[in-house]
Amino acid sequence: MAHRNLLYLLSLKELRTRYKKSVLGWAWSLFNPLSQMLIFTVIFTYVFVAKPLAGDPSGLKNFPLYFLSGLLPWNFFSITTSVAMSNVQGGAGLIKKVAFPHEHLVFSVVAAQFVTLLIETAILVIALFVAGQNALPWLPVVLPLYALWALFTAGIALALSAFNVFFHDVQYLWTILSQMLFYVTPVIYFTDALPDVFVGRVLNNVANYGPTGSYIVAFHNLFYDGRWPTGWLLLQLAAMAVGIFALGMWIFGRLSPRFAEEM
Amino acid sequence: MPDPTVILAVDHLVKSFRIHHQKSNSLKQLIAGRGRNRYDDFLAVDDVTFDVHEGEVFGIIGQNGSGKSTLLKCMAGILQPNAGSVRVTRRMGALLELGAGFHPELSGRENVYLNAAILGMGRKEIALRFDEIVDFSGLHAFIDQPAKTYSSGMYVRLAFAVAINVDPQLLIVDEILAVGDVSFQRRCLEKFVEFRNEGRTIVLVTHDLGSVKSLCDRAIWLERGKAIDEGDPSDLVEAYTERMLGAEAPAADGSVRRGSGEIRITKVEMFVNGSAFAVKRCRTNDDVLLRLYYQAEKTMPQPVVGIEIQSLGGATVTAPNTRDVGMVPPTMWGSGAIDVSLSNVALLPGTYDIHTTVTDFNRALIYDHLREALRFDVMTGKPYETDGVVTMRPEWKLS
Ligand SMILES: Nc1ncnc2c1ncn2[C@@H]1O[C@H](COP(=O)(O)OP(=O)(O)OP(=O)(O)O)[C@@H](O)[C@H]1O
Ligand SMILES: [Mg+2]
Repeated sequence: MAHRNLLYLLSLKELRTRYKKSVLGWAWSLFNPLSQMLIFTVIFTYVFVAKPLAGDPSGLKNFPLYFLSGLLPWNFFSITTSVAMSNVQGGAGLIKKVAFPHEHLVFSVVAAQFVTLLIETAILVIALFVAGQNALPWLPVVLPLYALWALFTAGIALALSAFNVFFHDVQYLWTILSQMLFYVTPVIYFTDALPDVFVGRVLNNVANYGPTGSYIVAFHNLFYDGRWPTGWLLLQLAAMAVGIFALGMWIFGRLSPRFAEEM
Repeated sequence: MPDPTVILAVDHLVKSFRIHHQKSNSLKQLIAGRGRNRYDDFLAVDDVTFDVHEGEVFGIIGQNGSGKSTLLKCMAGILQPNAGSVRVTRRMGALLELGAGFHPELSGRENVYLNAAILGMGRKEIALRFDEIVDFSGLHAFIDQPAKTYSSGMYVRLAFAVAINVDPQLLIVDEILAVGDVSFQRRCLEKFVEFRNEGRTIVLVTHDLGSVKSLCDRAIWLERGKAIDEGDPSDLVEAYTERMLGAEAPAADGSVRRGSGEIRITKVEMFVNGSAFAVKRCRTNDDVLLRLYYQAEKTMPQPVVGIEIQSLGGATVTAPNTRDVGMVPPTMWGSGAIDVSLSNVALLPGTYDIHTTVTDFNRALIYDHLREALRFDVMTGKPYETDGVVTMRPEWKLS
């Protein structure tokens, strides 16, 4: 790939500048999911007074670990998409002055966030181990699945950041949309525990089979339940990743030649 | 079969911008106005064609908004032309409009690496040239500061240092001489000359018409996106300045006048060696007296009168004025004559033009500027030299 060096430098820049003027620096990227996990655990344990379902077959019964195994990939998705938009916007200085493949502004964010995801996952794996669940055997599946998830995320991020150059509303709209998406994705609830009423059944379907939901289900399978996702699910995830990525690339490729004059 | 010496070919290039009637980049506008027909197309570059040959310095001139930067951005691949094509056959370095593609949060060092990577250099290659780049920019002390703390001149210095050190065979430059300080400007010019001598090619956009004349081999003149003239830089700059400053039509004798007209130089006569007969020729080493006849409609305070002697080749040989010698009259009105005597004229044989100027004391308001007030010939005298326009009366000694 031409400009590999450029992608490397941009990703490095992403990693370096993120916590530049902060004392705790990188630790912040861990505090974020940990605090979210803490809040959800307190709310569901003491406010809504719910009980975590047991992982099958792991037998794990633990809110914090369930939340974390979905939150980490979810945060990767939501942070990458929104940071990619502002990164392309913030790259105006570069875009208007030099010719280079603009998609690297998106890829560099994906790459940097992916590194963060890996570090956070390492901590999750340790926590699971402490709780008596050895996730190591599943890593050979988790990592390729992460790669597909990153591809899917990149596709969405490409499309959003390209549209955002022309209409800045996209980023505000996306803040709302991704929040809604968060709730129809089974990050903070068990789909099996949804009530068997109409709304519950609709949510159950969206959460289990929706684009983001099906990925999170697979990650729960691997981390929390300790079992293989079904072959169909894996196939669906792969197809979705490739399809969304191709679509994102196509949209970005169509719009990026006009970035320089629109910014 | 394309000419192999052409390394940049711009062919019927058209670039238009969408001018939105109420530019607000919002979905509301898209939905309310259905997005269509809410803009006009503005032609910034309109069917421009030219070739740049290997080893040439090619200038682009034109007034603000005439499309120069747009044209360069199309050449650099930053903007996508609507029609036509740009063909570049060599490694190109581009330095566009004030500053470069820098990320404000990154240090100068990181930006150098980033920019060099964009220009297609590998990490090792950049590391090898890094010191050279910093040396040229002269920013040693600031190289690890974030770029946002740089002044605009520092931005340009670093950007220029990167652009010339990636070894481009074709360098395109937009307006960088404008913000650098004098020493940096000189270094840039030296670098341009060095590039030219090495047979590299430069495309230069600048409002500094002096450097267009002295540096460029050929130039093009853009007006409202159209290339209205192309050719010798001196001729082009001449025509361009005249157009810009609103010259009147040439008079019958070929002279051109502009200015507000409160005072006018009506005629210039030349007398040689004390003779009372006005002539239009002299010899090297003659004593020459120039008589400038003026007419002032109003009483004007402290007018500065100047003459310029220019060779046919466009070089200004000398341009004295009355302010430089402290001979500014308190006022001037009515009509009369001013004499300028030049003894032992050092001009070598050739044809010369005299232009006259009358301005206010600050030389900001031009009352009168008469080009080609007098054209005269210099014949062979003593000393005689085949080349050049003036003689320094050299004395050679063989030892
Ligand atoms: N992104 C853009 N969107 C809309 N119009 C633009 C855009 N960029 C340039 N223009 C218009 O195109 C025209 C040409 O601009 P350009 O910057 O090429 O001029 P220029 O010749 O470089 O002027 P200057 O001497 O001031 O640098 C101008 O009228 C400008 O308003
Ligand atoms: Mg310009």
